[in-house]
Amino acid sequence: MSDIQSTTDPARPKSSLRAWFDVRGRSVTTLAFALNRLTGVGLTVYLFLHLAVLSQLLRGPEGWDSFIRIARSPLFLTLDVILLFGVVYHMFNGIRVALVGMGVANKQQKGLFYGLTGIALILFIVGAILIYTK
Amino acid sequence: MENTVSRRSMEQMAAKRDRSGSVWLIQAFTGLLLAIILGAHMIAHHFIVEGGLRDYQQVLDYVNNPVIFVTEITFVIFATVHALLGIRAIIIDMRPSPGALRVANWALGALGTVAIIYGVYLAVALQRLAG
Repeated sequence: MSDIQSTTDPARPKSSLRAWFDVRGRSVTTLAFALNRLTGVGLTVYLFLHLAVLSQLLRGPEGWDSFIRIARSPLFLTLDVILLFGVVYHMFNGIRVALVGMGVANKQQKGLFYGLTGIALILFIVGAILIYTK
Repeated sequence: MENTVSRRSMEQMAAKRDRSGSVWLIQAFTGLLLAIILGAHMIAHHFIVEGGLRDYQQVLDYVNNPVIFVTEITFVIFATVHALLGIRAIIIDMRPSPGALRVANWALGALGTVAIIYGVYLAVALQRLAG
């Protein structure tokens, strides 16, 4: 950590966790990393909720199919779209984070970010349309 | 330069911190496999099914396929490991004391074990219902 200079700016948070949300002077890739972790926390919460919801299947067709009816409501579909955003963003930005962490494409990481985010955005739009129209 | 300036990006620092225990590599490996399995999972469950979600009988028929059964169990294991290692990385970034980190490691380990056992139990129970 010898190449990290400590802050002398009293307004800048010293905690590295709070630093994620301190957008001043941050590069787009650093903000992307913070959003990657934020979506990761959201997806972790969803994973456990999802496992809990799947227990409805053990209650037989009545339990599951009544849940399905609720899950097809516009509110749930909107939550599905938010979930889809988290999934595709975390997935594609995670590929960039892994590559950069391995020391691959360090100098091209901004281009990598825009390229992968572009793919994620296209998949998100297609997925969101499918969620509302299927 | 007076303000905080990091000559490395945050992800490189995070990778460096965890790499010593190979935890970072597990995180990257499970993440890569999850990208494939989760993509297939989303398509199979939400995009090719009429109405966007499988009804009860469709879920049973789906899980009764041995390839799907193994894939879904693999998915639960990899997703849980990847998610909890990610939470651990965030906790480490909060600079906990060694004692607090030990407690967090135990708590995350216990949560992950329960989630994986429950996920496998659920898959086996559904396959039995289907059979």
